[in-house]
Amino acid sequence: MKIVNLILVLCIGGFLIYGTLDMPRWGDPDSPASKHVSPRYIQKTVEETATPNMVTSILADYRGYDTLGETTVIFTAGMACILLLRNSIRKNRND
Amino acid sequence: MIDFIIERYNFWIYVILMMIGLYAMITKRNLVKKVIGMNIFQTSIILFFISLASKRGGTLPIMKQAHGLENFPVDPSAYINPVPHVLMLTAIVVMVATLGVALAILILIYRKYGTLEEDEILKRMQ
Amino acid sequence: MTDQAPILIIIIPLMFALMTPLIGWIRKNLCYPWVLLSLTLSALSSFIILRTVLLRGIISYKLGNWDPPWGIEYAIDHLNALMLVIITVISLIVAVYSKKSIQREKPDKIVHFYTIFLLQVTGFLGMVVSGDLFNIYVFLEIASLAGYALIAIGDERAPYASFRYVVIGTIGASFYLLSVGYIYSVTGSLNIADVARLLPELYNSNVILTALVFMFAGIAIKMAMFPVHAWAPNAYTHAPSAVSALVAPLMTKVAAYLMIRVSFTVFKPHYIIDVISLNSFISWIGAAGIIAGSIFAIAQNNLKKMLSYSVVAQIGYIALGIGLANSYGLTGAVLHIVNEAFTKGCVFLAAGGIVYKLGGCNIADFKNLFRKMPFTMTAFTIGAFSLIGIPPTCGFFSKLYLILGSIEADQWTFVGVLLFSSILNVVYFFRVIQTAAFEKQMSDYSREDPYEKVPMDEVPLTMLIPIQIAALGILLCGIFNSEIISSVIKYAIPPGL
Repeated sequence: MKIVNLILVLCIGGFLIYGTLDMPRWGDPDSPASKHVSPRYIQKTVEETATPNMVTSILADYRGYDTLGETTVIFTAGMACILLLRNSIRKNRND
Repeated sequence: MIDFIIERYNFWIYVILMMIGLYAMITKRNLVKKVIGMNIFQTSIILFFISLASKRGGTLPIMKQAHGLENFPVDPSAYINPVPHVLMLTAIVVMVATLGVALAILILIYRKYGTLEEDEILKRMQ
Repeated sequence: MTDQAPILIIIIPLMFALMTPLIGWIRKNLCYPWVLLSLTLSALSSFIILRTVLLRGIISYKLGNWDPPWGIEYAIDHLNALMLVIITVISLIVAVYSKKSIQREKPDKIVHFYTIFLLQVTGFLGMVVSGDLFNIYVFLEIASLAGYALIAIGDERAPYASFRYVVIGTIGASFYLLSVGYIYSVTGSLNIADVARLLPELYNSNVILTALVFMFAGIAIKMAMFPVHAWAPNAYTHAPSAVSALVAPLMTKVAAYLMIRVSFTVFKPHYIIDVISLNSFISWIGAAGIIAGSIFAIAQNNLKKMLSYSVVAQIGYIALGIGLANSYGLTGAVLHIVNEAFTKGCVFLAAGGIVYKLGGCNIADFKNLFRKMPFTMTAFTIGAFSLIGIPPTCGFFSKLYLILGSIEADQWTFVGVLLFSSILNVVYFFRVIQTAAFEKQMSDYSREDPYEKVPMDEVPLTMLIPIQIAALGILLCGIFNSEIISSVIKYAIPPGL
């Protein structure tokens, strides 16, 4: 079973490496990722959001909705832990 | 050949990390080890995204000019790509949340069966 | 107001979920009407969206007023709008139903149960409504985390089933995220419309092939498609009844929606069909899933487990329809999503009702159930007919379209599989119905008139009405299937198929 799993994992890894062969070079300033959408964030951040830190401006403004989702994930996880564990905590206290 | 490797070894390292994590997730019989594997897996994805962000010659994505210089021309290649960093901030939070829920479930399992070894649990379920 | 409906559909359940713990802190009993109010409002806005889409075409809603490739966009076409209506309606039905069932099963966890219930619905809606690849991942995780927690509070074995779901589900979500990264590395964009515009030039690159394969693998795991379905049956069996009725019909269907979206919007049909011909592979897996799921279902003695394997089989139909990649096949797949959501909702609700009354759902204990719970069992029978594919129900029409699609694609094997699977469905549902309707309790044989001694013992009204509404939904979808197809689904099929 371990051998089967190992082969499976190696296949998955090999396929992922096969995918990287065509990728833009690492650290290439002309790669599509650096050319298509992101220049606007870099050039216009101060003008449009008045924030010199680009990560902040994207996180809280351009893609602020993702951050809403992110906080919801935290809330979900917190509620999930309460849902799962709360009852048993109370029971333990009574013991 | 050497150039080809140097240009891509970053991506390959993440693949190796990912394989370690995935192998632990599907092979280890201890549930905590599975959770650790899950974490390694997710961390490798974060490394992958961060490697996408890098630009040779770029610096941190924080403007050097302060306010008042809004019209100062900015060269995009002077700063690394901020988008993957933002995405990974969110992904880290998701990862932590998943870890939290997984551990909460593990606590439940431990209370019920008194062990976290998969074989033992399956035996006790019978 | 109607302009803001796309954001309201997310914000309403989200804000109500945030406030549910406060409401529960004031009075525990207020939680239930609070959840119903929220889901009713959200269902209303989904109907407004569907109406707007039908009247004015595709809606694009810019969040924060940033233009699409830079900000996040909601892109709602006919397919999304239909999915939104299904999700809100089914979750409303399940919410109405959940009152008694959760009071019986988990009386001390009502407040947090409803909080997570709403968050789960938020996650489903967010995945469907979003037009941004990364945003879909975030909401996928919200829905998954909520699902893990809801499943884990079920019976004795639920935590372990839920843990397996956590591990496998995280692999799926991470594969999805990885392929988003691959797509980002060569296009530099995350917006679905923008990516779809940029991709055709890159169709012969390895990166895109890898991204597509891993995206499909990730979604297939979330969808409980056949070879990677192992987490689903246990998770759905051991979850509380209300949760199985919410997660089993919706999580898999939302993932199926994502698969349609990825294969025909993010990637153009041309790529899937001509360049790498992945579609025939998907339909073969789907066909294998139909047969395997049905055979596993026949082997089960527990009703909920049988239905869970039936979910795996039905996902096979949808995958088969997607893989056929012609207009009939895809119509069948989308119609089957609609049908399956109602049908699985109905049968899981009925199974929950049986658990509520009998305390378990071993098929052998079902003797005389038709006399005891005539209405529940009638609804269950309608659901079973729809899964088998008997005419007035919706299942007949979706299977008909799938068969027509297979004939058009010249795949006679699939026609055979579809027909054979109906027989398998008959086998496993007939066993339940036969036990419930015709087998008498042994002691009854000694009496003169055995029927008098079985009093009617129906589930409470708050459970019975949702079951009946779901059954009615199956019949209505079947009777009005041509209207649904001609007004909505026809436009959801990508042009050129």
